[in-house]
Amino acid sequence: MGIISAAGKDLSGNLLSLQQGRSAIGPLQNFPSRYADRLPFGEIKISNETLRRQAGITEPGVTRTTLLAIPAMKEAISNARLSEADLRSPRTAFINATTVGGMCLTDELAKDAHRKENGSEYLSSYDCASVTLFLMKYFGLTGISDTLNTACSSSANAILQGARLIRHGLADRAIVGGVDSLAKFTINGFNALHILSAEKSRPFDAGRNGLNLGEAAAFLVMENVTAAAGKKCFAALSGYCNANDAYHPSSLSDTGDGPVLAMEGALKSAGLAPGDIQYINAHGTGTENNDLAESRAMERVFGTVPLFSSTKPYTGHTLGAAGAVEAVFSMLSIGQQEAYATLNFTTPMPDSTLVPLTRNTRVPMQHVMSNSFGFGGNCSALVFSAC
Amino acid sequence: MLYILQATCVSPQPTYGLPDFSSPRHPVANRFHALEPDYQGIPTGILRRMGKAIRLAVGAALPMLKAFPTMPEGIIIGTGNGGMEDSIRFLDQIIAYDEGMLTPSDFVQSTTNAIAAQLGLLTGNKGYNSTHVQRGLAFEHALLDAGLLLRENKSAVYLVGGVDEISASNFNIDLLAGWFKQEIIDAADLYTSGTPGTIAGEGAAMFLVSLNPEGAMAHVTAMELLHTEDPGVVACTLQSFLEKNGNPGEPPDVFISGENGDIRNQPCLEAVEAMLPADAAIARYKHLVGDYATVSAVALWLGTLILQQQAIPGALVKKRGNLSTISRILLYNNYKNFQHSFLLLENVVAGSPA
Amino acid sequence: METEQLKDTLKRQVIEFLNLINVKPEDIRNDEPLFGSGLGLDSIDSIELIVLLNREYGITIQDPKEGRKILVDINTMADYIEKHRTK
Repeated sequence: MGIISAAGKDLSGNLLSLQQGRSAIGPLQNFPSRYADRLPFGEIKISNETLRRQAGITEPGVTRTTLLAIPAMKEAISNARLSEADLRSPRTAFINATTVGGMCLTDELAKDAHRKENGSEYLSSYDCASVTLFLMKYFGLTGISDTLNTACSSSANAILQGARLIRHGLADRAIVGGVDSLAKFTINGFNALHILSAEKSRPFDAGRNGLNLGEAAAFLVMENVTAAAGKKCFAALSGYCNANDAYHPSSLSDTGDGPVLAMEGALKSAGLAPGDIQYINAHGTGTENNDLAESRAMERVFGTVPLFSSTKPYTGHTLGAAGAVEAVFSMLSIGQQEAYATLNFTTPMPDSTLVPLTRNTRVPMQHVMSNSFGFGGNCSALVFSAC
Repeated sequence: MLYILQATCVSPQPTYGLPDFSSPRHPVANRFHALEPDYQGIPTGILRRMGKAIRLAVGAALPMLKAFPTMPEGIIIGTGNGGMEDSIRFLDQIIAYDEGMLTPSDFVQSTTNAIAAQLGLLTGNKGYNSTHVQRGLAFEHALLDAGLLLRENKSAVYLVGGVDEISASNFNIDLLAGWFKQEIIDAADLYTSGTPGTIAGEGAAMFLVSLNPEGAMAHVTAMELLHTEDPGVVACTLQSFLEKNGNPGEPPDVFISGENGDIRNQPCLEAVEAMLPADAAIARYKHLVGDYATVSAVALWLGTLILQQQAIPGALVKKRGNLSTISRILLYNNYKNFQHSFLLLENVVAGSPA
Repeated sequence: METEQLKDTLKRQVIEFLNLINVKPEDIRNDEPLFGSGLGLDSIDSIELIVLLNREYGITIQDPKEGRKILVDINTMADYIEKHRTK
């Protein structure tokens, strides 16, 4: 697996942040926006020029979203010891997820959409697929290649989709994950919904008042047993489920129906009972709506809720990348046998008895659940198990 | 792979309800706008927020879903751009008000998964819900997704659809990028223009699919997806596709071609047509509905229509061929001369495995 | 502007801003609840109406929850506008 986020430029950087309880949330430094110093964000402090140089890209029209994916994919491919032949193989699938795509380019998109001039260099780079198509070319991928966009659950669904392809024999391995860059589009969209917090987010806290946006890319290389032979295994994906809350376009039902169905379905697909889960990496965005709905859902599914935390205070809410980022963090937890604290938490919600982890805790972990819930009621849960 | 139980299509031609190709409509300024159905089944409180892509999808699917005896186990949509018009409207607000106080509904409705979400919301469907956005293969991936789900849930039914809208903004972007004709062209001249580019279209085609052949309209037996610009690779892929899935004694009777009048697509198209049996009939449709990322969903709907009627509507015929019964259709789409799909569609034979 | 005239204008603005299809100003009673029953608006509409008050009348309401207390019906909206408008 591979990752780049505000919390670190690779796996070891991110792990260090988790271990040291270090949040990277703060004002924007490299991004021109009215909110640059009014709201906190999980910004990756690496410029596009540096990303281009490090990736050896000289051609025009490559968006930040695409650029961020490259180091994360490289790390995943390297860890999985994939050869050039593996990458080129038609048996290697690629399922990518992004919500922003090239929409990070506000001014160019506006000019092109209104045909103000002769067309910028980004004409083919605005849609979500443009990210995937570039990465396919860059890495020489020729197998089944797809892009998903289901808002904040996108990359969890990409992981699920890759697993399905391997399970049904359409691929031997799948590179799966997602990427999103900070964009005026999403910053202003979430702000217009009044769900961005002016402080560092406080998941599951009584005083929580919104989320912080972040940018990141995270990718996993999933392989069937034969293809994975002899390689280091971070974890096994033992269960997954996607379900719909079907309540409202941008908020979850109070009873958390969609999350309940997703979590129950993931347990069932893993052949596990609720008591088999030692830790949940919650979606935990810090919004009033999500954290209450998710708490209620966890209570309904588990009765006695296992240890849980939200790792979004380390990275921000990375939207299309969140599912994959938190899958990586879940697997780091399994590898280290350690669950990571929910930063900024002080007071439990009045409507719930649940208290998230507030200190890094060593705990024997066999099975970990990771939740991702998106706009449109799209709810996904993944179960990772020790190898 | 799967059976199509029911299919509907909202397109620039009268395809919704009773399909009628007898006097086809023409594009206006290289744009083929969809004939929208009446939206009586949709509460006005919800309709008022819907951008066109969502309206077309819901308009096509909702009556079919309401009439179906059971609720599908999931909803899977393919779309290239989703609600692009809403996205641009929100973007315009960001610029006009310099990131000040903005109205959120354009943002919420513009997320590409708003289409599948709205369908779920309107029908109370809490099952699987996904949105594929792989541009010219978005619909095909939605279909593939359904096929895999059906292997896991053998008695399930899924709603699968492909939808895209023409918005001023995505028309402009693709026009600037050279994907639409620079000259204003009529449908009759599309295929003989000899110039780059095509004409824009929009529409929604929605399908209820399952592994159960009983009462099904058509049988999707195989599919192959490809990213390449090389006609040789396209031809090779088709050859192995037909060898793997075809019956040498029973080549396709009808070829539904994704020809779109863009001269740059001709080499790949000719490579494919060269491999067809001499007496195969050829149908093409983009002169009637335009081209867009998920237009192959309309082609699939046309395929089911042709199988049901055992005839190709006159307005679609490129080559008459030597038709007796139509039992196998090969569909080929080419999007922006880089994304290709082959699909085999056959008559339903009772008891045959999906 | 006369109160009744303001209410009339407000109805037109609400209809246009929220794209209320098939609703005419004369269909909206001044004391008809905007949310829940009555006009049946939802949480996204409450945010949009706050934006309307800002753009048309220069009124800033930061918290949507505060907004819901003001946005009960046309009467309370007009009342609030008359007291706080800066445009």
